[in-house]
Amino acid sequence: MRKYHLVRRADARLKRTLIYYAIGILVSLIIGAIILVALGINPLDYYGRMFTIGLVGNRYGYKSIEGLLKIFVPLLITSLALSLSFKMRFWNIGGEGEFLIGAIAASIVAFNSTGMPNFVTVLLMCLAAMISSGIIGIAVAALKVKFNTNETLMTLMINYIMLYVIRYIGETKADWNFFLRDDSERPKFGTFPDSAVMAGIPIGQFKLLWSVLIALALTAIVFVYLKYTKQGYEISVVGDSSATAKYAGMSVGKIVLRTMFISSAMIGLAAALAVSSAGTISDTITNNVGWTGIIVAWLSKLSVPAVFVTSVLISILQYGCQAAATQYPAIDSNYADLLQGIILFSVLVADFAANFKIVRKEDAKNA
Amino acid sequence: MEYAIELKGITKSFGPVAANKNINLSLAKGEILALLGENGSGKTTLMNMLSGIYMPDSGSIFIDGKKVEINSPEDSGKLGIGMVHQHFKLVERFTALENIRIGIRNEGRFLHGADVRKKIEDTAAKFGFDIDLDKVVANMAVSEKQTLEILKVLCYGAKIIILDEPTAVLTVQEIERLFAVLRKMKEEGHSIIIITHKLNEVMAISDRVAVLRHGEYIDTVVTKETNEKTLTELMVGRKIELNIERPVMDKTHPLLEIRDLTVKNDEGAIAVDHINFYIRGGEMLGVAGIAGSGQKELCEAIAGLRKIEEGQMIHEGESIVGMSPKKILEHGISMSFIPEDRLGMGLAPSMSITDNMILKNYNESKGIFVDRKTARIEAQKVIDRLEVVTPSTETPVRRLSGGNVQKVLLGREIKSGPNVLITAYPVRGLDINSSYTIYNILNEQKKKGVGILFVGEDLDVMLALCDKIMVICHGRLQGVVNSDHTTKEDIGLMMTGTVNIVNKEGKTDGIAKDSAITDEEGKA
Repeated sequence: MRKYHLVRRADARLKRTLIYYAIGILVSLIIGAIILVALGINPLDYYGRMFTIGLVGNRYGYKSIEGLLKIFVPLLITSLALSLSFKMRFWNIGGEGEFLIGAIAASIVAFNSTGMPNFVTVLLMCLAAMISSGIIGIAVAALKVKFNTNETLMTLMINYIMLYVIRYIGETKADWNFFLRDDSERPKFGTFPDSAVMAGIPIGQFKLLWSVLIALALTAIVFVYLKYTKQGYEISVVGDSSATAKYAGMSVGKIVLRTMFISSAMIGLAAALAVSSAGTISDTITNNVGWTGIIVAWLSKLSVPAVFVTSVLISILQYGCQAAATQYPAIDSNYADLLQGIILFSVLVADFAANFKIVRKEDAKNA
Repeated sequence: MEYAIELKGITKSFGPVAANKNINLSLAKGEILALLGENGSGKTTLMNMLSGIYMPDSGSIFIDGKKVEINSPEDSGKLGIGMVHQHFKLVERFTALENIRIGIRNEGRFLHGADVRKKIEDTAAKFGFDIDLDKVVANMAVSEKQTLEILKVLCYGAKIIILDEPTAVLTVQEIERLFAVLRKMKEEGHSIIIITHKLNEVMAISDRVAVLRHGEYIDTVVTKETNEKTLTELMVGRKIELNIERPVMDKTHPLLEIRDLTVKNDEGAIAVDHINFYIRGGEMLGVAGIAGSGQKELCEAIAGLRKIEEGQMIHEGESIVGMSPKKILEHGISMSFIPEDRLGMGLAPSMSITDNMILKNYNESKGIFVDRKTARIEAQKVIDRLEVVTPSTETPVRRLSGGNVQKVLLGREIKSGPNVLITAYPVRGLDINSSYTIYNILNEQKKKGVGILFVGEDLDVMLALCDKIMVICHGRLQGVVNSDHTTKEDIGLMMTGTVNIVNKEGKTDGIAKDSAITDEEGKA
């Protein structure tokens, strides 16, 4: 005989949810600490270093902020883009592939931009990336609309196709391949000419890249787009019930195509900003944002302000681990992925606990 | 007297909502107990606790005088309780035999064993079921599926059978047949609980009636010693007017005319087969037919959501064939269809009342932004006028009760001021009070000169509410009858295809054509 059963909580209070989330994160940090202790590392020291992302006692602290922002910008934009398609219940898990297409397109412009003005080059890179990623997004959406193919499968496959395309480019020494360095025997990606490197506003030694401002502006735009515009409204309706959207006279196919174009184009933009900020391209340029972005979007429950906050936290986690890893040879940035996984899991449990409660039968009787 | 089932002090809450409060109920052996109550009175919740789907928060259940605990449908089955759900639980691709066989445990390894077949056949014969065991469920009519469901629980050895609104999907003749089976089961010593909204059925079949209201147990009365009026009072708690108003209007010219309309369903089969009719202003035309006779396809075709194969659709002298749904809406034809789950079409359940209010006209405001300010005012107007019970205009529609959901939907449809209102199953699953509110809303529209096409289920309601009733069977028109000059039985016979008055000479009711528009004009 079952003594306990689950009851959905009547009221979804934000305060309780936040407290449960905090507990979840705390528990994951404790699990992380156990791993650290097992490796012979003082967890307090390590976490201290991680959460201050190597700022404390560092003469070049501004470098840390710059490094953090380079992780943060692509993650934020990609997560926003994925939220957009998830809101429509279009399971775009092709963030990685769409990012790589954008990165390649932007690099084609970059490598051929010697002598062009910086502003024009970067703008062209962004446009090239957005259009090429956007077209792939539309292609997947069109297959879905026309033939009802499974978008999860399609977008997933794009990830692998693009991963191997960029590896091919990166490992093929040939006359046509302007991606690679001329002066190296081994195939190696070249660096962009100065014209293609992201500029910024100098604040003391620190340089605030334009890409950061673009990302912030984009966050505000997506927030308004989803919440207040007609197109955002259409996305919500299609996501909630496509039969209803159809009954309301919306052309569901068009909305899906348009939204997937915007979503993929944004990921392309993230890629263009990333390669331009890095000044080069590589097959690890995505830094897994296509995957991490999915986590961010769901942890945030597709809410734009929450996506912003979560992106900040995940970026600190990732960059902090990189920064701390320089002090601890026993541990590297993979620890960030591990911790991230544990946190995601704990937060999901916390979310469940915030929405349901376990009731003992006897208690229920007395209630 | 020993009871088959006794419930004592059963309470069940979903969050803050108490679906059942301290319910006491008893079912004698070999009796048919009708469980009566408005929507949301807790009937289905209570029965789900007997079938092991929910567990009571408190209270006890006694089966044959012994206290039991039902933690799963399996427990329930072992105790001899069988439930026939409103929505059938059958494997569509399996035959009748296979559907029954998969639930039989501990009896051989083979699906088509002769002994099992024999057993099922015997049971079917004993209760007088007419069923083809080798027929695939997907090819069965609704009544056959229901027969199969009942046979299934009997084969599993159920002594207590619970039927959740079994008559909702049946025609008059099929209901009679079902009742005959139930009486047979009763003779064999089975105890039956039947959930229904329909008082005439309660009077016809039950021995006693238990009444629930708002989750509370009201009373149990002996059917012979009561009447429909008393039961209604018990059920709703106060006297209600049983007569549905039917204002008689000066009918204007035909607003919408349908000629030779042929439409296919999703599977590509003909769903609407050369149907002719028209709707005039100030008139309500009912559409009667067994579920799945082409009602949905007809509605969707008129609303421009489904391609038509053949025929003409003329609205105020203009052909609407091939127009986009939006264009048709702008012409003044509004369509609302309440599907079985009540939310699937026409409403976005997770979105607020405000957001649902503007679903069909969000695009009319200027600029790129949605005009929620006006929408909120409109939502409040609908809430006030139709007495929608909701905490606020920003409450997600999902959180409202069935009746309020439907009020929101209808409120939106009439807000745009259509001149043709097509409404399918607007009172589906609603209690009497909510239903009357909906009828009043429709009548008000009719008084304004709107032409209404009312696709309905309950013939009593349609006879009372509609001016004329068009009967369809398998997508074919069986005739149009005047509500004042017909009977339920006549309509029932037409619904089953037994009678077709379309081809009878001298019957002007059968085919309706707008003489003002010639065939040539219509085609243009």
